[in-house]
Amino acid sequence: MSTKIHLKTLLFVLVITSLVLAACAAPQTQETAAPTEAQPVVVESTTAPEVVEPTTAPEVQPTEAPTAQPAEAAKKVVTFIWTQEFDTLNPLYTNMWFVSVLFPVYMCQAWWYDDKNNPIPNLVTEIPSAENGGISEDGRTITLKLRDDIVWSDGTPITSADFKFTYDMEMANSNAVASRSPYDAIESLETPDERTVVATFKEPYAPWLSSLFSGSSGISIIPAHILKPDFDSKGTIDNAEWNKAPTVGCGPFVFDEWESGSFARFVANDKFWLGRPKLDELFFRFVPDDASMIAALVAGDGDVGTFFAYSDLPELEKAGIKIMNSFSGYNEGWYLNLHAEKGNPALKDPKVRQALAYGFNREKLVQDLLLGRTKVAATDWDNTPWVDPTITPYPYDPDKAKALLKEAGWEDTNGDGTVDKDGVELVLKYGTTNREVRQDTQAVAQQDLAAVGIGIELQSYDSDLFFSSYAENGPSANFSLDIIEYSDSPNFPDPDTSLWRCAEIPSDENPAGVNTSGLCDDKLEALFKKQESQVDFNARQQTFYEITRYIFDNALWIGLWQDPDLFGFSDRMTNVKMSGATAFFNVAEWDVTK
Amino acid sequence: MTRYIIRRLLQAIPLLFIISLVLFILMQNMGDPLATMGGRKVTRREDRIRLARQLGLDKPVILQYVYWLVGNDWAKTDMDGDGIAETPGSRKGVLRGDWGISLVNRQPVMEVIGDRLPNTLLLMLVAEVIVISLAMLIGIYSALHQYTAADNIITATTFVFYSMPVFFFALLAMYFFAVNFKKWGLPYLPTVGMFEPEIGKTTAQVAWHMVLPVATLSFGFIAGYSRYIRSTMLESLGQDYVRTAKAKGLPRLEVVYIHALKNAALPIVTIVALDLPFLLGGAIVTERIFGWPGMGRLFLDHVSRSDTPVVLGILMMIAVAVIIFQIIADVAYAWLDPRIRYK
Repeated sequence: MSTKIHLKTLLFVLVITSLVLAACAAPQTQETAAPTEAQPVVVESTTAPEVVEPTTAPEVQPTEAPTAQPAEAAKKVVTFIWTQEFDTLNPLYTNMWFVSVLFPVYMCQAWWYDDKNNPIPNLVTEIPSAENGGISEDGRTITLKLRDDIVWSDGTPITSADFKFTYDMEMANSNAVASRSPYDAIESLETPDERTVVATFKEPYAPWLSSLFSGSSGISIIPAHILKPDFDSKGTIDNAEWNKAPTVGCGPFVFDEWESGSFARFVANDKFWLGRPKLDELFFRFVPDDASMIAALVAGDGDVGTFFAYSDLPELEKAGIKIMNSFSGYNEGWYLNLHAEKGNPALKDPKVRQALAYGFNREKLVQDLLLGRTKVAATDWDNTPWVDPTITPYPYDPDKAKALLKEAGWEDTNGDGTVDKDGVELVLKYGTTNREVRQDTQAVAQQDLAAVGIGIELQSYDSDLFFSSYAENGPSANFSLDIIEYSDSPNFPDPDTSLWRCAEIPSDENPAGVNTSGLCDDKLEALFKKQESQVDFNARQQTFYEITRYIFDNALWIGLWQDPDLFGFSDRMTNVKMSGATAFFNVAEWDVTK
Repeated sequence: MTRYIIRRLLQAIPLLFIISLVLFILMQNMGDPLATMGGRKVTRREDRIRLARQLGLDKPVILQYVYWLVGNDWAKTDMDGDGIAETPGSRKGVLRGDWGISLVNRQPVMEVIGDRLPNTLLLMLVAEVIVISLAMLIGIYSALHQYTAADNIITATTFVFYSMPVFFFALLAMYFFAVNFKKWGLPYLPTVGMFEPEIGKTTAQVAWHMVLPVATLSFGFIAGYSRYIRSTMLESLGQDYVRTAKAKGLPRLEVVYIHALKNAALPIVTIVALDLPFLLGGAIVTERIFGWPGMGRLFLDHVSRSDTPVVLGILMMIAVAVIIFQIIADVAYAWLDPRIRYK
């Protein structure tokens, strides 16, 4: 009997506790209920980038006086549901997309890119060009003219010394920075006065616009007055306090707080020279699980999310989340193993490669798996101005695929369903990472290609294993696979990519090479060599038209889908625009309706 | 007893040494930390070569282990890539209290772990207290009411919960109590995180955000533990000394909670002692789904980036905790059962 009494007492206590806790949450219910009368989100999807047109610096737009701190209740807070936590906030030390996409939030760059992927000045008065003297005649020297009104968030003026310090930190051997590109291509960086930065490259360097103190692959400047004392005393800034708490920044928002694994907070920068942002705070909640991210957005616990699976889009849209595609140069496709010695002999024949393209119903794949939200990719550079506009993807034509195989001498002589030649069956090893959409694609490809007589063996790996170097015997680098699926966009919006260069073929002598296809084609190499020093946009574009046409005609790369970055915004957000290169370029203009 | 504890601690030293060596070698096969460095781009060749040199990843595995263990301040490193080692190392090694620097964010390993440990302990200890309390109550109740309707219902329910995957329960609970309750206009629980940004990190907020993760962590363990307790209690209640206690007229409460439970608790102590060290490791699935900033997520994040120093730091901490809790369990045995003596 006494046990029963104890249990009843416990039950009673639990019920009371639950009620007390429920009572604590009551205000939340009222705060977030019924988001019905929100104005529709004003968002504009990005379009394919147009020809880059240098623009001049935007005028300072006076906004409402940033006088007093907004009252707690009226604070405009936007919550990001961020699936990957920052590794560091020092731009020099990160390779993470989830950090670099935020450079326009908490840091500043020489220029950003707008929703048409045109550069817009941020720290400079105008984009360097031959006309304004910003590019020297030989194409090696780029001169940056800095604005007069640029300041760090603590009021210290931003000068050319900050650029020089950033460059020095990139190149210091005691700093294990993530990447030295493009600074290791610079011969000298000089600062004749406080407002001028002169970068002289060793050779004419075409990709400067996307990476010199700017762009998604470039970096932001770092504050010399904060970090120099650190460097002088310790000899490195590898573990400077500023790296995880950059309380002095130069973006429209300033770092405020970051609790490991939990959240990060950025607040409006009253000293931002282009005007105080309309929002008061950006709150980043780190939620690593995709399903939880979707639940949080659907429940209204977040305003911004990204990297959605296509299959989640209908549920998000039903909950009022506006989806925006932002093309940042990623095109999912097959890199074929064309290594001179280690490549599959069958793939050396262009007809076999074309048969792969004709035999795989990629249009249906895009419709079914990606819900028709994107398109089949024709080239590795789709959605950039560098692709020959006459190129369209190979259509699905299984009969043509079979005919091409037959022309190449591959026929099913033993009736096992797979074509063969000289006693060898055409079976290709197809590997990729274990990202769900990639594994699904593998299964569909296997089925489609089986119908034209091409056998496929599927393999998938964890990302760090898949991309391990040749030295680590990584499957994407050791030429053990015939088809390697992934997408890369090392330098968007610049088309330059090392993945195609002969010098990047991994080998015992070059174990860190990144040319996973092992292709070294003389004509292609000459064209790549030619474009890398073509500082003139139009001339370089013509070279790239040749490159894309050559790769396409020879089916050296087979596109699967154009792979945009998917962002979702709650229905209370307004004025959101997206750029492929610097996604949040207009974050200062974002606003909320309630 | 003191000599016994000291002997056990000394025996642990070679064991920890072997564990660390095996784990270090295994970690080398987890992937290349420089492959993408958490990004979407494959790392540039020049940067890969430079970083491998600067971070000491180009050294043979055994030498890397030696540096991890005893430091590299006695050796020189080639930092400028000219093939000549010119810069003295700065690491002191684990034996001198330096657990190294994270390859992900260049922060000291102990700092990285120290940021997360309190959150994990908060979540796991609350869950463990709830688990043990409820499991005891349910287990004892079931044992005292064997084969009654209530016992059968409890048995069936525990088996359902025990066999339900954690991620499924977590997502189900989230969609039901957070997403749908909100949709239906009912008081609802939060989906993720430790607090609402508009309100701040108050005690009430943290407690409220702990409800779903704690419930998720607890449900399976309550089911499992209560079955153990039921079975050990049934065994104890059938013993002669319990019958004797009843026969001499002791109150039922005293018979059950003092005589039977103390004996029944021995196997439970073993299970709890085995489980407790793993509380430090956090709950990978639960923390991931509910966005709880604990050790489980830290481990997963750093394993996925092949961050050997941090992963080894976490694993060695758990290994040490396992050894310590085993010694504590042995001491607890002696307290619970006076027949046990250690020499």
